[in-house]
Order: sequence, then structure tokens, then C-alpha cells
Amino acid sequence: MELWAQDLVNGILAGGILALVAVGFSLVWGIMNIINLAHGAFVMLGAYVTYELFTALHLDPFLSLPISFIALFVLGYAIQRWLINWVVRAPILTTFLLTFGLSLLIVNIAQIIWTGDRRGVETWYAGANFSLGAVTVPWVKLLTLIAALAITGILQLWLTRSKTGRAIRATSMDIGAAQLAGVRVSQIYAIVFGLGAGLAGVAGTLIALSSSISPTMGDPFLISAFAVCVLGGLGSVQGALIGGLTYGIIQQTVAARLEVTIGTQQISGSGLEDAIAFIVLLLVLIVRPTGILGRATA
Amino acid sequence: MFLRPTAVLGVCAIAVTLLAPVQSVGADPDTIVFGSPVSLTGNLAKEGHLTQEGYEFWKNYINAHGGLKVGGKTYKVDIKYYDDESKNDSSAQLAERLIDQDHVNFLLGPYGSGTSFTVAQMAERKKVPMVEGNGAAEKIFNQGFKYTFGVLSPARRYLEGVLEMAKAQKPAAQTVAITAASDAFSQEVAQGAANWAQAHGMKVVYNNKYPDTATDVSSVISALKATNPDLVLNAGHVQDALLVQKGLKDQNVQAKGYGYTVGPDTPDFANSLGKDANDVFGAAQWSDAVKYHAAAGFYRSAKDYAEAFQAVYHHRADYHNAESSAACLAFQYAIEKAGSLDPEKVRDALVNLDVVTFYGILKFDSRGLNVYKPMVVNQIQNGTLVTVWPAGLAEAKVIWPTPPWGKR
Repeated sequence: MELWAQDLVNGILAGGILALVAVGFSLVWGIMNIINLAHGAFVMLGAYVTYELFTALHLDPFLSLPISFIALFVLGYAIQRWLINWVVRAPILTTFLLTFGLSLLIVNIAQIIWTGDRRGVETWYAGANFSLGAVTVPWVKLLTLIAALAITGILQLWLTRSKTGRAIRATSMDIGAAQLAGVRVSQIYAIVFGLGAGLAGVAGTLIALSSSISPTMGDPFLISAFAVCVLGGLGSVQGALIGGLTYGIIQQTVAARLEVTIGTQQISGSGLEDAIAFIVLLLVLIVRPTGILGRATA
Repeated sequence: MFLRPTAVLGVCAIAVTLLAPVQSVGADPDTIVFGSPVSLTGNLAKEGHLTQEGYEFWKNYINAHGGLKVGGKTYKVDIKYYDDESKNDSSAQLAERLIDQDHVNFLLGPYGSGTSFTVAQMAERKKVPMVEGNGAAEKIFNQGFKYTFGVLSPARRYLEGVLEMAKAQKPAAQTVAITAASDAFSQEVAQGAANWAQAHGMKVVYNNKYPDTATDVSSVISALKATNPDLVLNAGHVQDALLVQKGLKDQNVQAKGYGYTVGPDTPDFANSLGKDANDVFGAAQWSDAVKYHAAAGFYRSAKDYAEAFQAVYHHRADYHNAESSAACLAFQYAIEKAGSLDPEKVRDALVNLDVVTFYGILKFDSRGLNVYKPMVVNQIQNGTLVTVWPAGLAEAKVIWPTPPWGKR
């Protein structure tokens, strides 16, 4: 029982970060219909921004959050404005290929700059934890979860209250109508892509606190972001949040307990984490194809 | 006929690709060319670069000392690399390209058991001898391959030294928890460690695996913590070793000792974790503390090798560097003994090889695996890696039991 409680907490803590990775990916996908395969690379860049600021200036990773957001926002904005905009109306395969190529390019440049060494930011509070009964809660992961929730909260407010936010949502609902109302779509698209990259950047910053940093660190997060989006429903902040938490909890609780025997080989527990998460994903697709919170689109 | 510029470019690109192998390095009759698909990008890039350093270090030594003498003629050596992007399939395809298009004489192994396995199949099909120093899974050697040789101690023996050491301490470790990544190498390590522990009266209280691409291993750590083990063992690679060590502190797991396969021996481990890396044990194929009186032809001791290596690469030679150089040495002695570059003759010489090097003995069992060399155990003490086991090679006393988190 105690272990279940611990795993539930682990799942929520892991889910928060998965949600933050996914929210930017989901916005870009939902609003622009671009599956951004460079999202994992943006996560990685965010982690390196934090690493550089931490090693050169001893800047606390939490304080580098706005900097990695701005840095990645600018990069994302530029990429959309001067690169993806050329093919944004092309079939989805074209943008797929373009972002895949971008991802390779970014990862390989990172490899040249930072080499394949694994790096880490080791703060004075790394690994500090407290106990709630039998459950141990690491401070870094709790703060990461709080930061992830706060960032998604601010994002949701901005999308619903600000003028630009409303223009973004209007564009996602009906491009033609939005244009008639005076929304400059190419500008909005660049902002959305920048936002997606910026959110990936802050996720990278937070991941750097509990994981090691290397040029390929973003790959698994791209895959989980994909799953989270489909689970929660595309293009909405709440969807990514619910999807992330669901995915995290399933991974850490149910998946960790199963044992399967195939032939003579016993595959137990955590080896199946990904498989179970994706089986749930399939079930969601069958039962509720729009995701848990997704809306039906025409 | 009019061609669009893009089409012309395309045709040119194809033509260049097709023509390129013609000018390959294999054309020089005075050079022995080795080929290696090695991970220069992808998730094993760090280890891949260490492998390449080990190869290059040997090559430069040989060329600086006049080359290799083969049947009265002296040859320069060269090594051609392709980046396999840490992918098993690419590694085999590149090996095929090295053999068919670049006409390399021999293959040096890639990094990792997964890639070594696929390249071994290619070496077998093409009948080109390969010596590898970075794939320790016995799966590679249980296929009846005749052209693949590994200079490593096998995976199942990786953590035996750590277990033996932990059992000899006071208070002795009686219970063991094992976590392992899901790849073939790590699974063999975990299985071997569990068998050794049980055979020597220790109790395995936890033994589970996690996906080798895991980004969060919390549930494994929680379950392991619930069993309250004396000794925590991890079989994996640098990235997940870091994840596990961070997770152990996050959840305040207090064991008497913590042992890893790949991890503590690379500088990344201590660099990333700072004080939290202290007192951790790492199993190693080699350390610069090992004492062997090596045969002539290369550095005569581990210390000489380490000093010369440090001067060139400005970091301490780790065991990946050493085992990679050792793979080259196996070829060096076999080729000299064979007195020929004929693949069959060199293969036969490898089968009968029995030579002591700075790295240890190089001798292969009937499967092509070096089961004759022991492993060593290192410990990170105050930020520095020191050899602590076997006792005869120890540079420092074992720190045991490991102090609580925050006091290391």
C-alpha cells in the first residue's frame, strides 16, 4: 500500500514535467497542424541554456527559466517565420520532413558544440527530500511540478485573456474568419511556434535538474509528448496537463507492477512501462479518438 | 534534352557517391587499413569517442615507431571510421561498406554489445576478422562465430568484483538489489551478478529492469528502497547510471554500498554529480593501477600507457580507451605472428594468441571471448577514481559503509 502511494506521487511528479514538454508540442500541432519533430531538440537546447548559465554564472536553474524561454522563443519564432512559413500550407509530410531535418541539424550542431559528454547541473539542494508518512518527496521534483503547473496556468490565462491569445485561438478555430477580423496569420503562426519552442526550453531547464544533459536527451521526450497529446487531446493546455499526469501515473504505478512471461523470458515491471502506456493510448484512440479532453473537429 | 538545375545536381550527387569508394584508402599497398563503424553521434556518442581515442592512440604509436612488420615488409596502419549514429543496423551496413567498397583489411569493433552483435554477423558473412573491445554480452560469442574476437571480460562477470569486495567488508553486505537497463549487455550483467550472489550466500532481494531509454526510474527506486538492501547494483550505461544515482538520493535510499557497471569510470559521472558521486563503486575492465609486465611492441605497463595517453588527450585514460587500444594490440600481435595479411591466417593467429599487454592477458576461449582477464573495482573517493579491488592492486582502502547522503 505504501509503495502504491509512493508510486502515485512519483507518477504525478513525472507527469507534471511530461505535461510541460507536451503542452508546447500540442499547441503547435493543434493550431498549425504541424507535428514538430524538432520539439525534443528544443527541450535539449533549453537544458544547455541552463547548463551554460549555471556553470558560467552560477545562476540557479529556476532563475534561468525566463532566459531559456526567451532564447528558445526567439529561435522558434525565427524558424517559423523564415523557414516553416514557406511550407506551412504544404501537405503534412512536407512539414514532417522539414522538422525532422531541423531536429537532426540541431542535435548534430549541439554534438559539435558540447560533444557527447553527459553533463549535469548539481545544485546545493539536489536530492533534498522530505517525508510524508511513508512517502518520500524530492524537493527538486516537487518544485519542478509546481513550476510546470504555474507555467501552464499562466499560458492558459494568456491564451484566454490577452488579445494575442484570443487571436491565436481564433486562428485555430477558423483561419478565414480570423483573417477577415484583421488577424495576421503568419505573425500568429510565428508566435505560436515560438511559444511551443519556448515551452520546450523551460521544460528542458526543469529536466536538467533531475536528469543528465546530452545532445540526444530530447528524443524520448518527443515520443512521450506525442503520446501525451493524443491521450489528453490536441491544442489545449488542460488536455496536455491531464494527458501528462495520466501518462506519468500509468508508467509509475500500473506498468511497474506487471509481469509477463513470453516463452521462457520473463519480462517484469518497468521493462514494460512504455508498452503499457502505449496500450492505454491505443485504448483511448479507440474509445475516445479526440483524447480525454479533446474536442471533435470537422 | 533539358534538365532542371536540381535534377543535374541530383545526378551529380549520385555520381559522386558512386565514384567516391574508388579513391578509398585501401588502394595504398604499403598501408594496412582497419575499418570501424563507431558511434560518433547518438546516445552512445560519448563511449564511441572514447573507443575512437583508444584506436587512434594505438595507430599513432605504431606509425610513429615505424609501422607493423609483416613477413619482412613494413606497413603503415590506417583506420577508416564511419559514424553508426549508435544504431545497430547502421553499424552492420557501414561494416559492409567498409569491407566491400573501402576494402579494409580488418575490422575493429564498434561501441556496445548491440552494435558489436550486428557487425559480428557481417564479419562472419564476409569472412573478415574483427577484434572488438566494447561489446561484452556473451550473446555475441554464443553464436558460433569464427571471425569475431572480444578482448573484454564477459558481461556476466562485470559485477562479480563489486560483490566479492562487498562480501569481504565489515559489516559484510548480505542483501543485494539489482537494477538493470533492458539491453542485452545489462541483462547479462544482472543475471551474472544475481547468480554469483546466490552462489556465495548473499540474498538477492530485488532484481528488476527498466527501459534503456528511460527518463524517469522513480518506480524502480521506490520498489528497491522497500527491500532495504545492503548493496545496490546497477547494470546500465552512463546516462541511466546518472539517473539511478540521482534517484537514489531523491528518495533517500541508504545502502552500505552502491555499485555500477558503466558510469563511475567516465569523468562525466563525477562531473555531473559532484559530491553525490563520492564513494560509489564502478566495475572496470581495466584501470591504470593494474600491474602487468607487457610484451614488447607497445607500452610495457598500464602506468606508461596512462601517462602517454594523458599527455595526448588531456584526460585520464579510462577503461574504454584501454580496451579499444587492446583490440588493436590483438591484431598487432596476430598479424606479426601470421606474417601475412591474409584474413584466414590472421584469424588462425588470433585463435592461438596468448600475450600479456598493458591491459592484461589477451587470449581467447573457443568462442573468441577473453575469459582469462579479471575485472577491477574502482571507487570515487573525494572526486577521484581509485582502484580498490582486488586487494593486491588497491591504491586506497575501501570506504565502507558508504556515509549517508550529504556527508560524502
